[in-house]
Amino acid sequence: MGIALGCGGVTVSFDSVKALNDVSLTLESGKIHALLGQNGAGKTTLARFFSGLIKPDTGRLEINGREVEPGEVSEARAQGLEIVHQRFTLPPTFSVSDALELSATLKKGRAVFSTNTVAKSWGDEMQKAGIDASPFAKVGSLPIETVQSLEILRALSGNARILILDEPTALLSPGAIASLFERLRKLRADGVSLLVILHKLQEVLEIADTVTVLRDGRLVANPTPIENTSSSELSDLMIGGDGGPSVLQAQAAMSASGKARLVADSVTTASQKPGEPELTDATFVVRESEILGVAGVEGNGQRQLADLVCGFADLQDGKISLDGVDLSELSLAERRRIGIRIVPFDRMSEGASLATPLWENVITWRAEEFRKPHIPFLSVRAMKQRSREILGGLGVKFDSLEQSAMSLSGGNLQRLILARELENGVKLLVAAQPTRGLDFSATDFVLRCLEQLRNNGAAVIMMSSDLDELFDLSDRVIVLRGGRIAGEFQPPYDRQLVGDAMVGATR
Amino acid sequence: MNRVAANLLRFGVPVLASFLVCGLFFSLAGYDVWEVTLGILEGAVTGPGSFRQSLRWSIPMVLIALGFMISFRTGEFNIGGQGQLMLGGLGAVAVALIVPGPQLLILPLAILTGICAGALWSAIAGLLKLRYGADEVITTLMLNFIAVLFIQWVTVGPLRDEAVRGQTASTKRVDPSLRLTGGDGISPSMLVLVALAILVAWLIAERTPFGLKSRLVGANPVAAMWQGVPVKRIRLWAYLLAGGFAGLAGALEVLGPNGRLVTDATPTIGFTAIVVAIVGMSNVPGIVLAALLFGGLQASILFLPIVSDLPSSGLRIVEGLIAAIVTARFFHLRWRKKQAASVSE
Amino acid sequence: MELIDQFVVTMLRSSTPIILAAVAGLFAIRAGVFHLGMEGLMLAGAFTAVAVGTVAGSVWIGLAAAIVVCLVLSVLYWILIDKFRADTVIAGLGLTALCVGGTAFLMQAIFNQRGSMQSSVRLPRPVSGVNDGLLAFVSELSVMTWVLPILVVLGWILLTRSHLGLQIAAVGEYPYGAEASGVNQSRVRLHAILITGVGCALAGAQLSVGDLSAFTENMTNGRGFIALAAMLFGARSPLYTALAGLFFGFADAFGILIQIRADGSIPRQFVLMAPFVITIVIVALSSSIGRRRRRF
Repeated sequence: MGIALGCGGVTVSFDSVKALNDVSLTLESGKIHALLGQNGAGKTTLARFFSGLIKPDTGRLEINGREVEPGEVSEARAQGLEIVHQRFTLPPTFSVSDALELSATLKKGRAVFSTNTVAKSWGDEMQKAGIDASPFAKVGSLPIETVQSLEILRALSGNARILILDEPTALLSPGAIASLFERLRKLRADGVSLLVILHKLQEVLEIADTVTVLRDGRLVANPTPIENTSSSELSDLMIGGDGGPSVLQAQAAMSASGKARLVADSVTTASQKPGEPELTDATFVVRESEILGVAGVEGNGQRQLADLVCGFADLQDGKISLDGVDLSELSLAERRRIGIRIVPFDRMSEGASLATPLWENVITWRAEEFRKPHIPFLSVRAMKQRSREILGGLGVKFDSLEQSAMSLSGGNLQRLILARELENGVKLLVAAQPTRGLDFSATDFVLRCLEQLRNNGAAVIMMSSDLDELFDLSDRVIVLRGGRIAGEFQPPYDRQLVGDAMVGATR
Repeated sequence: MNRVAANLLRFGVPVLASFLVCGLFFSLAGYDVWEVTLGILEGAVTGPGSFRQSLRWSIPMVLIALGFMISFRTGEFNIGGQGQLMLGGLGAVAVALIVPGPQLLILPLAILTGICAGALWSAIAGLLKLRYGADEVITTLMLNFIAVLFIQWVTVGPLRDEAVRGQTASTKRVDPSLRLTGGDGISPSMLVLVALAILVAWLIAERTPFGLKSRLVGANPVAAMWQGVPVKRIRLWAYLLAGGFAGLAGALEVLGPNGRLVTDATPTIGFTAIVVAIVGMSNVPGIVLAALLFGGLQASILFLPIVSDLPSSGLRIVEGLIAAIVTARFFHLRWRKKQAASVSE
Repeated sequence: MELIDQFVVTMLRSSTPIILAAVAGLFAIRAGVFHLGMEGLMLAGAFTAVAVGTVAGSVWIGLAAAIVVCLVLSVLYWILIDKFRADTVIAGLGLTALCVGGTAFLMQAIFNQRGSMQSSVRLPRPVSGVNDGLLAFVSELSVMTWVLPILVVLGWILLTRSHLGLQIAAVGEYPYGAEASGVNQSRVRLHAILITGVGCALAGAQLSVGDLSAFTENMTNGRGFIALAAMLFGARSPLYTALAGLFFGFADAFGILIQIRADGSIPRQFVLMAPFVITIVIVALSSSIGRRRRRF
């Protein structure tokens, strides 16, 4: 049996963080290979490397047993490799046949065409593939699973022999997943090699011939035949095995007796992010001097939880209060005034404004406090002075207050955001993925900040995809799955039980 | 300091380059560039009364540009300065012609009405954008056309000056006691008013919570939102202020040099003001300098035919060229790099 | 009867350049380029057709030259916005200002004429021989009005029934998808802008050597911007855009009719305003219409 895909010594780094670290593997052709790992483990990066979308720092690429120049999409295409991205590529405003014809354009060469002829030929193709939709329908009006089948059809229209699918099941209903897998098996029977990125164990066990596991950009399990492994073994490999080195030596202090700070009573949100579940019927309490860890695979309600606390999501049902004050009518500015702070998910796009000078990044939201006495205008000097103190307080390294936030490293930028959010009177902090992409010492710093905040009496909600740090820090852990609270855990945490609750595995 | 230098390079070089390119073009076309240069200088600065003319044209430019700057800083591209200027003029002239009363009361009232009229005209676009997402470039452009037609109607209809039998329709002249200046558009009271307006714009932009927040909103609205900044409210205020400044410009035109509301009196000033705002690097001192430059250019355009055989439209070419290239990034070329990598999830 | 004839002719005459520019402009706007340089390109086309046509003694050479000039200016515009990432709106307005100044300058510099210049050539008027009967009132229409339906249909085919059209729409509406399916966005935008340029050249030529036989300073008088309004009014579909252009012509003719009749019940300006107001309403109702924003 030949080799469909191979790579050796692949390292890819984004801003000094290694997304892939010395990965080498080979995948046989004619099989369904699963690539498993948590968010941020490097799965998508590896897929994009294979398809030529990413040029690696080092490493070689082999497609169909032939050595290929990495980082060249056309080279990979020429070898019959196609990728179905997680985000759909068919324009939602197009009709189905126009959308399919768009990518076919580059292969055939009819300059002008008749809509009916094109629709008919694509209609035939769709029928052959078992897709039930009109070729005249708008792509955006179709159910997600149909669009996905169309994406696969598109990818195969140029005689692809190797197909990579990036998290194809993420948005699908169970029934749609079953028919997707049916389709994939049929493709395998036709001799197509498939590499499927998944993060649910059940799905891997159901569909894959072999499974490869990535964690933190490293290969932790070479392609293993599926019959030689088990759900619990994979869960351990993916989430970090038995313990692993602990980032922090802190002990989680039990303080279940503290006063309730944030109380959410059977809350259902209406944040209306397409493809993501709403937070549904969630009841939880965060007490003072407590860190509540939130575990879960990304896209299972974390954003909605943050939106709920910030007031970005409408409340469909339920009540939420801080220290007994009903939050539902308060804007975020008002919530911040009573002590709610947030470290947003993405520090580059949400946490800070990169083009803005450092001092404006930390002081703007509370500029009102710096009015000069008797006249309504601001004292820039006082603001800069205060900014310097705020930044200095958390040891942000900078040359000038006027330099833009763009010039800061990831860890330094996160310090800036923390410095801004931890300034006086914090009662509740929501820290969303506060350590993502940071190196060891920056991570350590962030975690110590949260810990100290807890020790000073604040309530902290921490969302992280790194279970080690969640376990080290949290006084309690809840697990979100599909927008619902799928479990609550007390220390000492059983990694396997938490992991099972996250991915819905059974033992 | 470094940033100022970089900005000078970024925005000053296109201006210089435009003059050089046009100079080269003119000399190839057989004109005496030296004579033209002297003509421009004479028309803008050295000639008798010419600096007053430059100042006169800088005034509407600087005001509209400051308004544009305020809305541009919040990320809104309000190109409706022309229409807001006209509505401001209408508001002022209506009060000056219709409302009876002592000068001390009517003059401020007329100016204030002009400001409000401009602000409301701009707020139409703002509300449509913030409530329905209607693109402000389109709506302000359309509102400019509507304003032109509306002013046409006013000047041939309700407020028409029957005595004038010329080609351009206009309203009656406002009472001389309500005029801030004579025909040359410059007087101490006018200059004081404009200086005050510039100061107010600077205070708003640099010394109020609104100004600080609008910068954050413009640079990254998502980050601003996470910090609890009311993005939409800030933007709506930006529309009102932009319209207010343009309206003030319109009021001052009517109560100053024009003395009445004329259709098509200054058809390109709104556009020039946008160029002024961009060349002025979207900050107040830069805009004042740029307005002086373009005001001088405008004065020269009117003056040049007297001393040189170069058609005055030649200077319009310079202006157009500056606008065409001023936003281009010539200094860091990125020819098709990392294109594939940006297909990202 | 005569009044109605006159009305229809006026409507067709004033809508022809708008429809030409608007349908061509659809290529740019569908590719995500909100092209405010169209006004300037029309003016450049109008001037070149008169200037070259008069010098060469052939209206066709003038027309060809107008197209060439507009193509060159379009390429420059494309280089500015695509290669140097200039802001489309500002650069477009700049291009327009450049053409307003440039045409007036060249007219004076080359032909020593101020304000306006006569053209010795004119586009043919296919039915000009008929002096009475049913066809009499259309004898004033230039050949451009007669081929206009063909050009509109051609635009419709290119936009909705060709691969170029699909690629243009993908680049404008869903750049991510276009890029992922391997479309060369930069080149597609170039093609779209070039087609728009050709349309503007024809529209400008229609104004100067079709409708009249003269060039006047700033003779487009905002028609390039009105064409933009027609595209949005016509929901960016070629056929509806053509109808929208016709409606603008209708408003124009109606305004003139009112002026002639002089009954004053509805001021002419308000009739002329209607299309702009409707455009704003339509843009507000379908907020997806708009330019793609790019910071600079």
